[in-house]
Amino acid sequence: MSRSARLAAQGLAVALVVGLLGLLVWRVANDNTKGVSQALKDGQHPTAPAFDLSRLDGRGRIDLASLRGKKPIVLDFWASWCVPCIHESKRLEAARKHYGDRVAFIGVDTKDFSGDARRWQRKHGITYPSVHDGSGGVLTKWGGLPIPRIFFVARSGKVVGELVVEEDLPRYLRQIAAS
Amino acid sequence: MRTFVLVLVATLLAAPVAYASEPHPTLNELEGEVMCPVCGTTLDQSSSPAAQQIKRVIASRIAAGDTKSQIKDRLVAEYGGAILAAPQHKGFGLLAWWLPIAGIIAAAAIVGVGAWRWSRGREPLLAGPPLDPALEARLNDELRRLDD
Repeated sequence: MSRSARLAAQGLAVALVVGLLGLLVWRVANDNTKGVSQALKDGQHPTAPAFDLSRLDGRGRIDLASLRGKKPIVLDFWASWCVPCIHESKRLEAARKHYGDRVAFIGVDTKDFSGDARRWQRKHGITYPSVHDGSGGVLTKWGGLPIPRIFFVARSGKVVGELVVEEDLPRYLRQIAAS
Repeated sequence: MRTFVLVLVATLLAAPVAYASEPHPTLNELEGEVMCPVCGTTLDQSSSPAAQQIKRVIASRIAAGDTKSQIKDRLVAEYGGAILAAPQHKGFGLLAWWLPIAGIIAAAAIVGVGAWRWSRGREPLLAGPPLDPALEARLNDELRRLDD
């Protein structure tokens, strides 16, 4: 191998290593895996991560960003295999009767089989619309498992809080309804 | 020879069975190839409710007569590509299968060419200036005397 060819090969190898190192640094610096849930625990109120997913009932899609500035949102992450989700979704269904005209209730069926999810909604009388997040990509941005996870988003698009204790539900609903 | 014939016959007998299992997969077969979406293991190692749900879906599709690839396609449509334990042999998934093989072939080629060039470029081990004829004759005499 001639000297110039050897130098070129060495330069290419060094460039490759530097490139991979740069990619690693960029990935660490732009790590968004913290999720909304952790940001709330850190005392921040991040803007709700946008999603645009198909509705479970087949009636088009829901684009979360399109609701920004129009309506406050209650976001319910659930799945048909999640037993505690039944209780929480039923509570939200009941709350919707009082707040449904002022607040948008949206379910995110996550890591679930859509056929089972539709049956689950019918069985438990859940009528607010849900989108299908089969891969769990949206759930990851909001904090990941476990579910149920319920978030409250003000009209401005800022996430106000996550339901931790059941007693907080009326308080959060009043807060976002007034936003 | 007899063993070879026996192995050949056994292989030929087993081949139609293996072929028949492709269009009609068993639940056990697929449980090792599909991931549980909430536990990070394959279905056969999980008894979580989410895994049970997918096992039921697979069982119902097998009963409906779906092939393995039809069932996998359906699962990917519902849960995304990460539901499979290994990437599919099509589209972008092909990269995951062929890139390591290409890497191994390229590395073997580089090592081979390097070794060939290195061996050709080396000086012979016994290379050196020829012996003085008188000295060589004397050395031969000494060696002959030692042999005697």
